[in-house]
Amino acid sequence: MTACGLNPPARVLVTKIGLDGHDRGSRIVAAYLRDAGMEVIYTPPWQSIPAVVKLVLEEDVDVVGISSLATDHLIVPKLADALREAGLGHVGIIVGGIVPDDECPALLQAGVSAIFGPGSPRDDIIAHVAALAAKVRDVKNAEFREIAQ
Amino acid sequence: METGGNAADLIHRRVCARTGHAAVIGFTGAPGAGKSTLIDAYIAVLRGGGRRVAVAAVDPSSPLGGGAILGDRVRMRRHALDPNVFIRSVASRGHLGGLSESIHRVVDVMDAAGHDVIIVETVGTGQSEVEVAEIADICVVVNAPNMGDDVQAMKAGVLEIADILVVNKADLPLAQRATKQLRDMLKLRRNRQNVAILETVATNETGIDALGTAIDGLLANRAADKRKSRERRMRRLIAQAASRLAHDRMRDLADAMLDELAHKAATGEIGIAEAAKQALSLIRP
Amino acid sequence: MTKQAVQLSLPGFEQAHGGWRAEYGRQIGADRTIRNRSGVEIKPLYTPRDWNGDAFLENLGFPGQYPYTRGIYPTMHRGRTWTQRQLIGLGTPADYNKRVRTILDAGATAISLIPCNSVFRGNDCDEVDLPLLGTCGTVVNTADHMDQALDGVPLGNISTAMNDPSPFTLLAFVLAVAKRRGIPWTSITGTSNQSDYISHFIANHMFYRLSLPGARRVLLDHIEFCRAYVPGWNPVSVVGQHMQQAGATPVETMAFTISTALQYAQDCIDRGMDIDHVLRRFTFFFDISISFFEEVAKFRAGRRIWARLARERLGAKDPGSWRFKFHGQTSGVDLTVQQPLNNIARVAVQAMAGIMSGLQSLHTDAYDEAITTPTEETARIAVATQNILREEAHLCDVIDPLGGSYYVETLTDQMEEEMMALIGKVDEAGGMYKAAEAGLIQAMVGQSALAFQEKVESGEEKVIGVNCYQADNVAYAARPTERPELERMQQHVASFAAYKAARSQTDVNRALDTLKRAANSEGENIYGRIVEAAEVGITHGEIVSLLREELGFGHPLVVV
Repeated sequence: MTACGLNPPARVLVTKIGLDGHDRGSRIVAAYLRDAGMEVIYTPPWQSIPAVVKLVLEEDVDVVGISSLATDHLIVPKLADALREAGLGHVGIIVGGIVPDDECPALLQAGVSAIFGPGSPRDDIIAHVAALAAKVRDVKNAEFREIAQ
Repeated sequence: METGGNAADLIHRRVCARTGHAAVIGFTGAPGAGKSTLIDAYIAVLRGGGRRVAVAAVDPSSPLGGGAILGDRVRMRRHALDPNVFIRSVASRGHLGGLSESIHRVVDVMDAAGHDVIIVETVGTGQSEVEVAEIADICVVVNAPNMGDDVQAMKAGVLEIADILVVNKADLPLAQRATKQLRDMLKLRRNRQNVAILETVATNETGIDALGTAIDGLLANRAADKRKSRERRMRRLIAQAASRLAHDRMRDLADAMLDELAHKAATGEIGIAEAAKQALSLIRP
Repeated sequence: MTKQAVQLSLPGFEQAHGGWRAEYGRQIGADRTIRNRSGVEIKPLYTPRDWNGDAFLENLGFPGQYPYTRGIYPTMHRGRTWTQRQLIGLGTPADYNKRVRTILDAGATAISLIPCNSVFRGNDCDEVDLPLLGTCGTVVNTADHMDQALDGVPLGNISTAMNDPSPFTLLAFVLAVAKRRGIPWTSITGTSNQSDYISHFIANHMFYRLSLPGARRVLLDHIEFCRAYVPGWNPVSVVGQHMQQAGATPVETMAFTISTALQYAQDCIDRGMDIDHVLRRFTFFFDISISFFEEVAKFRAGRRIWARLARERLGAKDPGSWRFKFHGQTSGVDLTVQQPLNNIARVAVQAMAGIMSGLQSLHTDAYDEAITTPTEETARIAVATQNILREEAHLCDVIDPLGGSYYVETLTDQMEEEMMALIGKVDEAGGMYKAAEAGLIQAMVGQSALAFQEKVESGEEKVIGVNCYQADNVAYAARPTERPELERMQQHVASFAAYKAARSQTDVNRALDTLKRAANSEGENIYGRIVEAAEVGITHGEIVSLLREELGFGHPLVVV
């Protein structure tokens, strides 16, 4: 068992899609998750959606964390669709940063499991990601057992 | 695959029959030498030749908590959308010798998936990295001139495994000195006389074609003993797995027996080697 | 700088001081160590033993006099108050025009233009996801768009600040529009905000478009071009804001910003430019955090360091070159989502720090900045905050009102010393260009960001509504977020496509070929070719793409 409660450790992608570059938050969250024993794939900002999908596939990521501080959250639903189309619908998605209250429902509906605004306590973020990763892992393991038989 | 265990073994056994096609190239060198950028450029050369490429990029896990930030792949951004380039970040996870075993499985799966070239990138420090590099048919050790005295301090072991030495960032002022230092170091080693030293500037592609040609040349020469070296490697992996197994079982062993052996060894009644032999017999199933 | 303080003769001082210390110790018990954000230890009391005004002329002097610690002009805000420059930009060029006209009608003498994030990334509007267009700035891709945006704006009589990173296409569009309208370029005034490519590289900012060497060359060409043809324009704005927002401490921010300015100045000297021509047009741009006294000391120390280095190290002879002109923006990092109206108080304190530091130009954030893109109403409160501080609080009556405070002067000296140590570190690394290229600065800034966040997490650094006084968090009913209408934006994109298709392909190719040749010929001024391209209708995206191809793409360096 590892520090994050999963073996092998939860694998989390921390990235930014769209146009904005403010990455102070994504760096800090990446460091938090690492210190909590997770394996964090970290990218610089401005990833295209197809690039994120390819990355999620190749790295066998459990959770995708999208940081958005300047309206890039508006294309998160598009990312969620793209993941589903690639057969990666089971992968967890969380969003961190600035999302106006009235725009949260659309994200949650698109499959985002939580939105962490500024000031979210570190432990809340870690606990949520760990639980989400564990759930995703269960789905993956079930799939694997099916194939193995 | 990185984790091992029954599931990994199951998949691994199934893919083994399809392996043996890919060439495995190891790239190792200290952080800051420009490995990822060099690999990015080298992949472009391979893709130019129509070859399918997979990369296993190994980053160290934190000794505290076991977490890791894996950021190497972003330097291979040119291929971020190329379906024929598969990149996988592997955290070293700090387990005893387990890394070389998991990399072995990762490489086999990549091989079975039909990649022509598999690149294994490691940070060139420490014994486990040296072992990982040994998985490769060809091992490229990357240096850079801006690393001060690091060239001299470079682990002797890393030099021993190099088939090709690269001085990257060769446009920097001290590049020639670094090349000369490496040449001098090779002179001191009888079995390393044929190791090529190449200068590259990964950021503007200088010397990458020559690197590709050099690697291909060596590969052609080694095709014959590939199977043999794979079996040799398997022996070592089995030995490592066995020692890990022993380690785990001894950890679970009833304390009293081990305590007694420890006491005997501590008082000099028996030697450590003898104690180990007796301990092994205790855990024999 | 460091000097042996002349001990003033203060009869009875030691005895009284000792008496206070004993009483203070008895009442406070176990005192805690307090450090400001830059790590300087803050004492409970400062006295003439910390700072006593010796070397007054050397270290402080008078406003408008070297080393300008007390302000760069003799009259400072008592003569002419700071420029109230609110950054605006939203939607289509027509939307922007409507907003800017309102501002001009209200008596503004300076305007600004923030382009859409797609523009910052070097894209035209037909290259990005529609929902993102115009959400953070105006979608300006051509001289025609700029013409619409500035319709009815008297270009020759108004100062214009463009958030316009390398390769400065927005200024090129402005110059093209001026030519169409028969306005001489010599009457155009304003600033290329965001011209500091090193700061963009360090803070991974979306303004970072061209590779480091490419951006370096374009900036120098831009400076030379402006000097020759648009002499009233400030081509360089050295930016500390991104670094501080990315987590640099105030000391780090000031030190690295000055190191950056030194780098640009040295590059100009190496090009053979006259340093006094160049430095007179340098401006600076900073975040103002809520760490009140620390910010005041930051700016006072920075002003003194710059004057000394410009004069002594760079050899500038014109006092205009020694003056540290800066724009301040209240820091969005300090604003909270929790209890958002509290941000009005925060912004007021930040603005006070900036004003008392003697800034030349100020932008105050709207209180809902941490939640959404500010509305007109919240932006109005931000402007009113400035008016209240000026008219009601009388912050402009006295120049450098905190000068002579034992605390502020001591802190100014201490922070100056720390800044000089960091500037020395950057020097050792071969200057700011090399230090940034190697990732040294990014590593330090990242460490500071993490350290600060740890303090917030642990409660050592208190943030109201975030890690204390949370009981007061009540539901805040934010007004519905306004986004550009998708349909209108779609029309804008469609008309852009029609515009591109209607151009003579021969002309387009010719202009792009000329630009390409210039990019590959070191001796040619590439910025002149960019302006020509803008004049014949080449788009922003086309110019940036070509330069990325020829001079290298600006990829961020990842230092985790």
